[in-house]
Amino acid sequence: MADAASGSTDRSVQVKLVLLGEAAVGKSSVVLRFVSNEFQANKEPTIGAAFLTQKCRLEDRVLRYEIWDTAGQERFHSLAPMYYRNAQAAVVVYDVTKASSLEKAKTWVKELQRQANPNIVIALAGNKIDLVQPSPSSSSPSSDAEDEADDATATPGEGAAEGGESLRQVPRDEAEAYAQEAGLLFFETSAKTGEGIVEIFTEIAKKIPIDQILASSRGGANRAGVAGGRTGGQQEGGVNLEENTAKGKDGCNC
Amino acid sequence: MSTISTHLRNFKEPTKEQLTQLFFSLPIEPQTSEIQNNGKEKETKGSNEELERMEISAMLTLGVQGVEEPAQGKLYLIPPYLCFASHDRKSVRFTVPLCTIRRVERLNARAGVYALGLSLWHQMKIVVQLTSLRPTADLFCSLLRDALKAELQRGQMKLVKGFVKSCYSEILVAAGEEKEGEAKVEDPSPDSPDYMYLGGLGLKFKFPGDPKKLREASKTKLWTTYLKAHGRNLTLLRYPQCTRLVQVGLPNRLRGEMWETLSGSIYLRFSNPGAYERILEENKGRISTSTEEIEKDLHRSLPEYSAYQTEEGIGALRRVLQAYSFKNPETGYCQAMNILAAAILIYMAEEQAFWLLEVICDRLLPGYYSPSMHGTLLDQRVFESLVHKCLPIIHEHFQAVDVQLSVASLPWFLSLFINSMPMVFAFRIIDCFFCMGPKVLFQVALAILKINGEQLLQIQDDGGFIHLMRDYFASLGDSAHPASPDPRARAITRFQELLLVSFREFAVITDETILTERRKFRGEVVHSIESFSKRAAIRNLKTLERFTKDQAGLIYDALFKAICIIPPPATALPPPPLLTTKETAEERPETRIGLRTFKVFLSEICTWARSEKIVSNGFQQRVDREVAEHELIDRLFYFWDTSFRGTLSFQDIVSGLDGVMFNDLMENIEWFFNLHDKNKDGFLTRDEVLTLSESLLFIFRFEIGDAYLGAVSRFMSNAFEYGDALLPHPEGHDPEKDAPPQIESNQPYMNLATFRMVVLADEILESFFETDFSGTFRLEPVPMMEIPNSSSGIFGGLWSNITSDDNRKIFNKFTDEIGKSIGKHQVFHRPAIGKFTTLEEPKARESLLTPTMRRTASKASLKTPESPTDSSSEKSRPSESSLLTVDQGSTSTTSLASSMYSPMPSMFQAAANAAALMERTPFAIDDAKDDEDDSDLDSEIEDDGVMDEVDAFLEEHDSGVTDAERELAKDLINAEPVK
Repeated sequence: MADAASGSTDRSVQVKLVLLGEAAVGKSSVVLRFVSNEFQANKEPTIGAAFLTQKCRLEDRVLRYEIWDTAGQERFHSLAPMYYRNAQAAVVVYDVTKASSLEKAKTWVKELQRQANPNIVIALAGNKIDLVQPSPSSSSPSSDAEDEADDATATPGEGAAEGGESLRQVPRDEAEAYAQEAGLLFFETSAKTGEGIVEIFTEIAKKIPIDQILASSRGGANRAGVAGGRTGGQQEGGVNLEENTAKGKDGCNC
Repeated sequence: MSTISTHLRNFKEPTKEQLTQLFFSLPIEPQTSEIQNNGKEKETKGSNEELERMEISAMLTLGVQGVEEPAQGKLYLIPPYLCFASHDRKSVRFTVPLCTIRRVERLNARAGVYALGLSLWHQMKIVVQLTSLRPTADLFCSLLRDALKAELQRGQMKLVKGFVKSCYSEILVAAGEEKEGEAKVEDPSPDSPDYMYLGGLGLKFKFPGDPKKLREASKTKLWTTYLKAHGRNLTLLRYPQCTRLVQVGLPNRLRGEMWETLSGSIYLRFSNPGAYERILEENKGRISTSTEEIEKDLHRSLPEYSAYQTEEGIGALRRVLQAYSFKNPETGYCQAMNILAAAILIYMAEEQAFWLLEVICDRLLPGYYSPSMHGTLLDQRVFESLVHKCLPIIHEHFQAVDVQLSVASLPWFLSLFINSMPMVFAFRIIDCFFCMGPKVLFQVALAILKINGEQLLQIQDDGGFIHLMRDYFASLGDSAHPASPDPRARAITRFQELLLVSFREFAVITDETILTERRKFRGEVVHSIESFSKRAAIRNLKTLERFTKDQAGLIYDALFKAICIIPPPATALPPPPLLTTKETAEERPETRIGLRTFKVFLSEICTWARSEKIVSNGFQQRVDREVAEHELIDRLFYFWDTSFRGTLSFQDIVSGLDGVMFNDLMENIEWFFNLHDKNKDGFLTRDEVLTLSESLLFIFRFEIGDAYLGAVSRFMSNAFEYGDALLPHPEGHDPEKDAPPQIESNQPYMNLATFRMVVLADEILESFFETDFSGTFRLEPVPMMEIPNSSSGIFGGLWSNITSDDNRKIFNKFTDEIGKSIGKHQVFHRPAIGKFTTLEEPKARESLLTPTMRRTASKASLKTPESPTDSSSEKSRPSESSLLTVDQGSTSTTSLASSMYSPMPSMFQAAANAAALMERTPFAIDDAKDDEDDSDLDSEIEDDGVMDEVDAFLEEHDSGVTDAERELAKDLINAEPVK
């Protein structure tokens, strides 16, 4: 708490990010994968929105993501503006095994482009690609617990075991073309295996006009947590996921 | 691609009677599902409704001396219930079903005293002294007698015995009696034969929290004593001690039943035996959007509680949520209900939970979980307003740093704090919520902010706010005054502090406050929901066509108004599953309007689709607008229904209007041609030419002067002349000599080129198609429909419409007329185009077609003697004049303006301003002194401090009873029944 309210690092930039998308496409799983790099049973059911934070290094800067993970049910839609208000970034998630979820994602994108912060960076993420990858053996070996957790929000009846292209309802090309046309970042991800998750946040970080935010934020005194002075990650793009996870747990994700 | 909902407009303020019922936690509506299932029940329930209600001043005395003070208040007979509330509406009250009254006797007491002794189930006796005049008291007694008789006939009395066995309190009291004298009350063993009561998952999977820390034993003992003397379950009498005991937290095993009793859901369960199972049985295997959504959330509902890691717990949760969604398909399932249901299932059985959920969603948190979630949004707005009033500094700071309260407070209200704070604490707030009503949520929420006031003033953004709140909730079990030298003060937890601040400092927040505030903001919230869905609807259009967003907004407004007036069919059928999967059809419900709604819609934006009568009576002018009926409008509807579904979507309408509003001369002619070319073969038949002429006449029906009429008549003669002339002639025939070939009226007759030529031959028609026709479609701001309780008149904008430039000329004309015959009632039809404004001497207007001819024209072909002549205008003229006159004559008809257009008296909203809210009593955690005696406390439980906490909630309850009355009450207890 104390670090959240008062601590400050000159270099850290606070980025408000909102997750939107149809119910059960795996928004919460994406966030959990990013924030704690693991699955847990959903500790916090999403009512309105769940709030999580995660730090992320980009070159010499530390970004502090404030993530609003919104409820997916249609009737919560009218509450969404409360959360995407002033957001600098948005991740719109759909489920590659469910065509209608892309349609919903498109309406979210439209809404964001018209109602939200004009400079908002939007990423489109097609989640659950583990379900459509030809060989189920590609899933990470240590995922017993993860499978269980993922199933909590997965559409019932869809087992990862029977994975294969046949489950795919949204071709990559189609979604990618749309993303290009609408000017979105595009990813296909699996919160279960972790594939593509970090990339979303890294690419967003690259695209965010950090200097602008720094200049416009109140005196540059962003409330960031402990100085994220650790470097050296295996990940490309300067994001040190492992380190961040540790920090996220004791520092922000309270 | 969206739904347009107008149901928020239908909100009605509860009547006084309903408020009373609400206060006593009575079911407001008869349980419809129940009635349908049981014809016999229906009859008896019907007779209940005929039973009269009555209220009467009374003094209530408990039959056992010395336990409670007599209380002055009012007795309400609301069959099948008898209720009482003390004058302050909070210290003493009860709601008992009449069937629990075993005996009523008139008491023989002092002269002039009218008292009844009531023996209730549970061997309880209460005395009510009716303090009204004798005839009133007599009337009350006779009504009570009738109501009791009806209950007896219904056989309800017999049900009580079986029902109370399902209540834990019975076992508790029985056990207490058995072990009379023993200090420690043990829970009856679940294996004992008495184990019949309904209980929650907690019985098997343990209740949250440490029973020792929760001081379960002491609380249970206190409750046993209370329930013994004051009745229980169906017959509970609520005295101040009851509220206080609730405030220190209900014991786990009793909690479920007390929630039922306090919230009134027990009456639903009592009067609908077996309904829960029946709903499940009847809907077995049914799949709906709700059931699918429920499945997704089952494993996300309090997953850390062990029962919800088993099929047993998940199954119970599934059944309760599904049963609710089947019973209330409109609400269905809303996220957060899973958390509520999961929480209450720990303490109560499925059937109990089902009815409690019903009471929560329907009565306690109305509209919270509805598809628009308007109740949630409204209460968030109310909360914000209360913060503004009670905690102005915090409000100001939040404004300054642009933080919205709702980011944190929304889940507090929506899931009753369950996923915001440790469960043991949330359950204690819920105890109070069921006991004292929804105001508790506001009181607690305000107290949270107040307690954290200083830190809140430091926060800079949403994130900081959320963090602060999380940390606070996590620390609720800590001491509120860790540094205090007084051990008693040190023992007070932050949670206790929270409740004390809630109920002491924010006692000013009453049910009335909430009602008033809700009334104040309802219009605003409804408006914002509606404009949100409007924006979404416009955004989700596949194409705006050539309209701007604002214009699309105007179209939407007109559509919305039409839907308000004539709601579309309840559920538009999903499209045939040819292209779309079932899934998508279900998830993207779309509002589609039928023909009747379309007519209203069109009348809003198209001048000829309405009949407007300008009525002047010398004092005022008003416009009576009616929706016009004509085949042309039906034709247009089906013309726009490009997907042949018999309904139009918003998109259909936008695209349809686009096809006509931006047209130039040629496009308009073509459009009009296509509109009448039913089979789209590029040819009009003779019938269609006639229909087209009728359409023109319909459009021109209110135009002033004869110009248009002449034009249509010339059009017709030309049309048939050219049409016949251009017909392919059989070989060898001399077109000059032979009669034109006979052609069936439904055969292709005239193509677009010919039609165009005929139209362009006439100056008036040319100008009509060039500009005037498109001009009859006007996107003008639709005066917003009245939102309930907002203060503007229903069609406030109408008057300014009348005085718009377009019509001013007509008005000037009419002021002349009024001058001529002042005070005389006059009616004038407003023309659809209004180009020609010279009003000539009203003369009979000529029409081309008689009704008889229309019939012949459509049935028989035009081989009839009239048309296939050399049809010169010379010839057709006279024939016209022989036909019936139409239209102008209808000025005298007294068609009634539809009532929905009559201006409603503007409602003035009472500017209720709870200035009292600003007054705040100082925070007084430490002077929780004992105002009332606690001398007869069991010495054994003193040391665990339950009573300390109970006492902290003590308030001065002035029962308003004088000593003399007290004396009398004492007498009454011992009085003998009248023989």
